[in-house]
Amino acid sequence: MPKVFFATDLHGSEVCWKKFLNAAKFYDADVLICGGDMTGKAIVPIVSENGHYTVALGGEREAVTADQVGEVEANIRRKGYYPLRMSVERLHELDQDPAKRAECFQEVMLEGVDRWMKMAAEKLRGSGIRCFVCPGNDDEMEVDDVVRRSELVELGEGRIVDVDGFSMISTGWSNPTPWKTHREDSEEELGKRIESMASQVSDSSHAIFNLHCPPFRSGLDEAPAIDADLKLMHGGRALRPVGSTAVREAIERHQPLLSLHGHIHESKGAVKIGKTLSINPGSAYEEGMLMGAIIQLDPKKGIKSYQLVNG
Amino acid sequence: MADTTMGTATGKRPALFLRNATGLVKAWSTFDAFIYSFWSINLITLGLYGMSYVYWVPDGQLLAAIVIFGVLTTFLVITYAMLVSVMPRTGGDYAWQSRVLGGGLGFVLSITGWWFTLFLWAPIYANILNVQFFLPLAYTLKWAGVSTFFTSQTGLFVSCLIVLAFVSIVVTLGMETYARIQKICFWIGLVGLVVVCGLLLFASQSDFQNAFNREAASLFGASGNAYQSTIDLGTKAGYTQHNFGAFSLGPVFLLMPFLAFYLLWPNWGATLYGEVRGAKDIRKPFWSMFWGLWVTIGLVGLVMILIVKTMGWQFYNSANAAYYNYALYGGDATPVTTWPYPVMFAGWLVDNHLFQALLIIVMGLWFFGWAGTLFLSSTRVIFAAAFDRVLPAWAANISAKRRVPYGSLVLMIVPSIVISAVYSYVPKFQSVFLDATAVLALTFLATVVAAIILPWRRKDLYDASPIANYKVAGVPTITVVAVITAIFLVFMLYEWSFNSSNLYGTSFQATLNSVYYFLATYVVAIAIYVAARIVRSRQGIDLRRIHHEIPVE
Repeated sequence: MPKVFFATDLHGSEVCWKKFLNAAKFYDADVLICGGDMTGKAIVPIVSENGHYTVALGGEREAVTADQVGEVEANIRRKGYYPLRMSVERLHELDQDPAKRAECFQEVMLEGVDRWMKMAAEKLRGSGIRCFVCPGNDDEMEVDDVVRRSELVELGEGRIVDVDGFSMISTGWSNPTPWKTHREDSEEELGKRIESMASQVSDSSHAIFNLHCPPFRSGLDEAPAIDADLKLMHGGRALRPVGSTAVREAIERHQPLLSLHGHIHESKGAVKIGKTLSINPGSAYEEGMLMGAIIQLDPKKGIKSYQLVNG
Repeated sequence: MADTTMGTATGKRPALFLRNATGLVKAWSTFDAFIYSFWSINLITLGLYGMSYVYWVPDGQLLAAIVIFGVLTTFLVITYAMLVSVMPRTGGDYAWQSRVLGGGLGFVLSITGWWFTLFLWAPIYANILNVQFFLPLAYTLKWAGVSTFFTSQTGLFVSCLIVLAFVSIVVTLGMETYARIQKICFWIGLVGLVVVCGLLLFASQSDFQNAFNREAASLFGASGNAYQSTIDLGTKAGYTQHNFGAFSLGPVFLLMPFLAFYLLWPNWGATLYGEVRGAKDIRKPFWSMFWGLWVTIGLVGLVMILIVKTMGWQFYNSANAAYYNYALYGGDATPVTTWPYPVMFAGWLVDNHLFQALLIIVMGLWFFGWAGTLFLSSTRVIFAAAFDRVLPAWAANISAKRRVPYGSLVLMIVPSIVISAVYSYVPKFQSVFLDATAVLALTFLATVVAAIILPWRRKDLYDASPIANYKVAGVPTITVVAVITAIFLVFMLYEWSFNSSNLYGTSFQATLNSVYYFLATYVVAIAIYVAARIVRSRQGIDLRRIHHEIPVE
């Protein structure tokens, strides 16, 4: 009876990744699944000048000594940002040149993912625990190659994999977002992408759909409403369903045993869509908290139990 | 794809390079969140109603008490803003308590406040709707049948049902629609308030006396000098006259538990602020709650000064004392037999019943813009408990088409109907309802205790938060402000529970029904948690591990 631990949307939080790797032992899980959006959203420059460093994180700029900078970097990584030491000249260069900034971002992101893959190998080697990762819409395409090269982490994107007798399909692609991120499809294309895998699953009662984007109007897809200027409306209280109709249709059509989602951090929950248990464990990566779901699978009963946890 | 930079406060250097990624929104409007906070401590509905009891402490200086209350509640605001900053989008008191104090304690303390006690607020809202909307409107328009109906027990019960129906509709419409309604109510309600203040400002006390005597005769059939009769009846009811300006510190503090009825809730929306970009900036939640609190305090001060100037302080208190003596204790009938609603009285300065009715309707928007959020926080707490598997999964069910949280709504509405019936038909249980403020204050106290110990109990979360650098003499600021808040809350809880003269109608020695009721709610909460632990354990689910932190290394 495989016990699955699922977490998603770590967004570069190194603390959350470490917790994710340790979750297997902590919750006695056999399989780890990371649902996507592994990479961070921001670089925090740590600027070297006059024999010290300056950094601004969540407030005013502060000066730190060379001895303190390691701690500052750890704190930045914990929040899911990338710390990057640089000179004042480099700071201005990145500020003024979008191409160089993009290049720098990709470099630090891929370096970060590579470091995570090495951590996974070190932690899971010899444990028998399987670990799947499926990059999400916020992850650049090059992330896949880094995961493919990993010693122990298995790439889920676009594949059907066997998880102790259960077939799992995965995609990190989403329907269009206002941010125009890296893996976005029209609903029609997303539907085709999912269908190309789902149609090959022989037994829906033993199927897991690991789809980053939650199904539309499921209660797992409620995000704060924003206006055309990407500004939160009504103090962030107004929520709108932003999930994918293609994902919903796929679930309704194939009725897998379990569907795993993320993408909308605020919309933690577990709902039934027909025979399918759909879960979005939410994300609180900025707090360094790993929100996840433990699912105990049973070859006969299907899902024996599930639990959402904040680790 | 790095396409955006974010400047610092000084604006010269980028502090952060952002790339295109889902959810990177620009900051939400502090004004929107301010409106929510402002509504939560509604100066018309809750405020005027709550202050109608201050005649019990005649030597308390009301304005001083309001300002001191505001200062002390600011510490509550800081505490909650800091908690939002450390743990945003977490589901509020339940999540904060369960993460810091433990799952069982967090469930029991928050569910008793946000679930079981919110049942009691439905009839309180209904009573306010009656005395500030249905009854004054019916009297003004001389709809005798309507006014008679809404003064009856069944009328009150129907009012409860109307409130519950309204709340259900709002929840069904969704917060986005309701937020729009709130904004409309806010602006039109403000216009109404300006009119009320203008009327009081430009009228003299003799103008008011004449208007009061005229309308008391016209609408209520009173004879003679109704204004003076009201003052005489107030004295007869036990109200001791004191000058408005007289100041004495002890009585000022005795007014605090009365003021808590409306001023203790600027943090009502703290649980809803959600994920704030820019490293969980503490300033937004703080300023929205702070201004919600202090703008209300400013307006209350203005309204009270105008009431004192035009209606007279002795009249204001006498009218309340005489009314409650008549309505609750069977004393002499007052010339104006309905609750002395200052808005209605201000409208009487214009000798036109249509205008008076219109003013009551416009000021009624203060109720309808506010009442819809009655169960909003409750449904969130129920959701959180259901996600944690303490409550059954169906409690968090949402309908697919209209996204109505019908599971949690049923859990709120059905008991509220029963409680409303008790409120309407069994007057001896009224002390239970007077405790509705105290039990929520107890829930806040538990959250405040969690805030006090947060830097040590959840060092990981605290150290990673933007408030980790805020210290007072080496002690974490959140601990300092939370201790001050805790002292304030404990003082009020003590007064509510043990005031020797039962000033607030809630002292344990005089209200055993209430004590038993609330003890029962805590027992039920404990029973639910224990039952959940047993049932979930049989299903292979260990509830203890929900909030246990996974080791990092």
